[in-house]
Amino acid sequence: MEGGTGALGALLLADARLPVGGHAHSATLEAALEAGMPAERIPDYIRARLATVARTEAAAAVAALRAARGEPVDFGPVQAALAARTPSAPLREASAALGRGLARLARRVAAGHPAVRALDTAGRAVPGLRVLRPVALGALGAAFGMTAEQTARASLYDDVQTVTAAALKLRPGDPLAAVDRLLAAAPRIEEVVREAAATATPHDIPACSAPLIDHWAGAHAHTTRRLFVA
Amino acid sequence: MPENTASPENTALPEDTAAGGAGTARRTLRLGVAGPVGTGKSSLIATLCRELSGELSMAVVTNDIYTDEDARFLRSAGVLAEERIRAVETGACPHTAIRDDITANLDAVEDMEEEFAPVDLILVESGGDNLTATFSPALIDAQIFCLDVAGGGDVARKGGPGIGGADLLIVNKSDLAPHVGVDVEQMVADAEKARDGRPVLALSRTDADSVARLCSWVREVLAAHLSGAHTPQDPGPMAPHSHGPEDAGHGHGHGHGH
Ligand SMILES: Nc1nc2c(ncn2[C@@H]2O[C@H](COP(=O)(O)OP(=O)(O)OP(=O)(O)O)[C@@H](O)[C@H]2O)c(=O)[nH]1
Ligand SMILES: [Mg+2]
Repeated sequence: MEGGTGALGALLLADARLPVGGHAHSATLEAALEAGMPAERIPDYIRARLATVARTEAAAAVAALRAARGEPVDFGPVQAALAARTPSAPLREASAALGRGLARLARRVAAGHPAVRALDTAGRAVPGLRVLRPVALGALGAAFGMTAEQTARASLYDDVQTVTAAALKLRPGDPLAAVDRLLAAAPRIEEVVREAAATATPHDIPACSAPLIDHWAGAHAHTTRRLFVA
Repeated sequence: MPENTASPENTALPEDTAAGGAGTARRTLRLGVAGPVGTGKSSLIATLCRELSGELSMAVVTNDIYTDEDARFLRSAGVLAEERIRAVETGACPHTAIRDDITANLDAVEDMEEEFAPVDLILVESGGDNLTATFSPALIDAQIFCLDVAGGGDVARKGGPGIGGADLLIVNKSDLAPHVGVDVEQMVADAEKARDGRPVLALSRTDADSVARLCSWVREVLAAHLSGAHTPQDPGPMAPHSHGPEDAGHGHGHGHGH
C-alpha cells in the first residue's frame, strides 16, 4: 500500500463514505444542542473544537504517524498520552469505537504493514480501552504513505464535517450552508495543521480539553433518546 | 455506549481480527430482520427468543432510529437475559448502518459472540426503514424481510430487494387480515411470484402453527449454516425480476443492476 497512495489515502480518510462507523457520531453536537446551545452558534462550536479537542486529536494522530515509523512500532505512549488528555469517559469510548472501525479497515487493506500489525497491541497501554481514533488514523496514514500535514488535516476535516453533517440531521437546513461552515473554518484548520504537524513525541500533544463538551458528552451517555453515539 | 464504560472486567479486550465478516467459518448464525416501520420485527424477535432460547444460546442487536425503545421492549418482554440485548445508534441512517457502513453492528455482534461464547444465533433488527433496506452479507448470514397485512395487500406484488431476495419473507399479523380487507393467501401468492420460489410465510403471533413454521425455518438455516451448506445471499439493490423459465438459474440480485 505504500508509495503512491498518499494523496489518495488523504482523500479516502476524509470521505464520509468510508465505512468505519463515523455516520453514527456527531462530535458531541447532539448533546450540545440538547443542552440548549442555539443552532446559530454551530460555527462557534466548530471553532471551539478546533481550539481544543480537535487540536489535541490532530497532534496525537501526527504523533502516531511518527511512532508508526519506529522500529519496532510502539503506539503505547501515544495511546496513553491521548487517553490522559481525554478526561471524559464517554468521549474516550466514542474515540475507541471510531478507532476500532479504522483498525478493521487497516487490517483489511494493509494487514502486513508493521504499523497496522502494531495496532493489535496498542490498546494494552490503557487497560479497558481500545485503540483511539487518532492512533488508528496515524497507523493508516503510515500505511498509505501520508505526510504529517495530510494526517493532521484528515483528522481536523473529519472533526468539522462530523459536526456539519450531524447538524443537517439535528437542525435541518440548507446542505450548501454546511459547506460554507467548513470553508469558513479553513484558515483556522490550516493553522492547526501546521501546529500539529510539528508534534514530535507524545509529550508534545497539547492537553486541550473542553470542559463543557466533556460535560455534555457525559449527560448524553445517559439519555435514552439519541440519534448519535456521541 | 454506556454499557461498556465502567466495567473493570473488560480490561482484556479481544483484538479484532481481519476475518470478522460473515461468511467465514463461525459457529454463530447471524440472522437479520428487516422491513418497514411497525411491521412486527421486534415482536417476531421476541417470539423467536421465547421459542428458541431454551435450546439455543441467543443474543439480539437492535438498530433503533431515535431511541433504544426496541431494546427496552425486548428486555421488558423477559424472553432473554438483558445483557444479551444491545442497541446501536445509527446516526439517523438505519439504511446505512445495515448495508453501507456496518461498523457499529459488526462491533456489537462480535462483542456478544465473544462475551457469551458459544452463541448459536444472533438476531439483528434493522431500524424500521423503507422497502429498499436490506442487510449486507458482510454483516449477516441470512435475512428475514417482514411485511404486514396492514400495510396493504399490494406491497408484496410491488416487490423490492427485501421482498424479492430475502431468505425468508414474512407476511405478518395475518390475524388482522379480515379487519384490513386483505386476502392473505393472495398476498402470499403474489410474494411467491416475486421470489423465484424462495419461502414466504404468513405469520401471526397468535397462530401457533405459523410460529412453529417460523422456528423450523430458523433451525433449518442454522443447520445449513453449521454444515457449510448455506451461503449468504445479497438481495441486491433491486429485486431480481423473472423473465420466464429460461431465467430460472440466474444469480439473484446480481446482473440486474441499473
Ligand atoms: N395483531 C397483531 N399485531 C402484531 C403482531 N405482531 C406485532 N404486532 C403489533 O404491531 C405493532 C408493531 O410491532 P413491533 O414488533 O414493534 O414492530 P417493529 O417492526 O419492530 O417496529 P419498528 O421497530 O418501530 O419498526 C405492535 O403494536 C405489535 O403489538 C401480530 O402477529 N398480530
Ligand atoms: Mg422494532
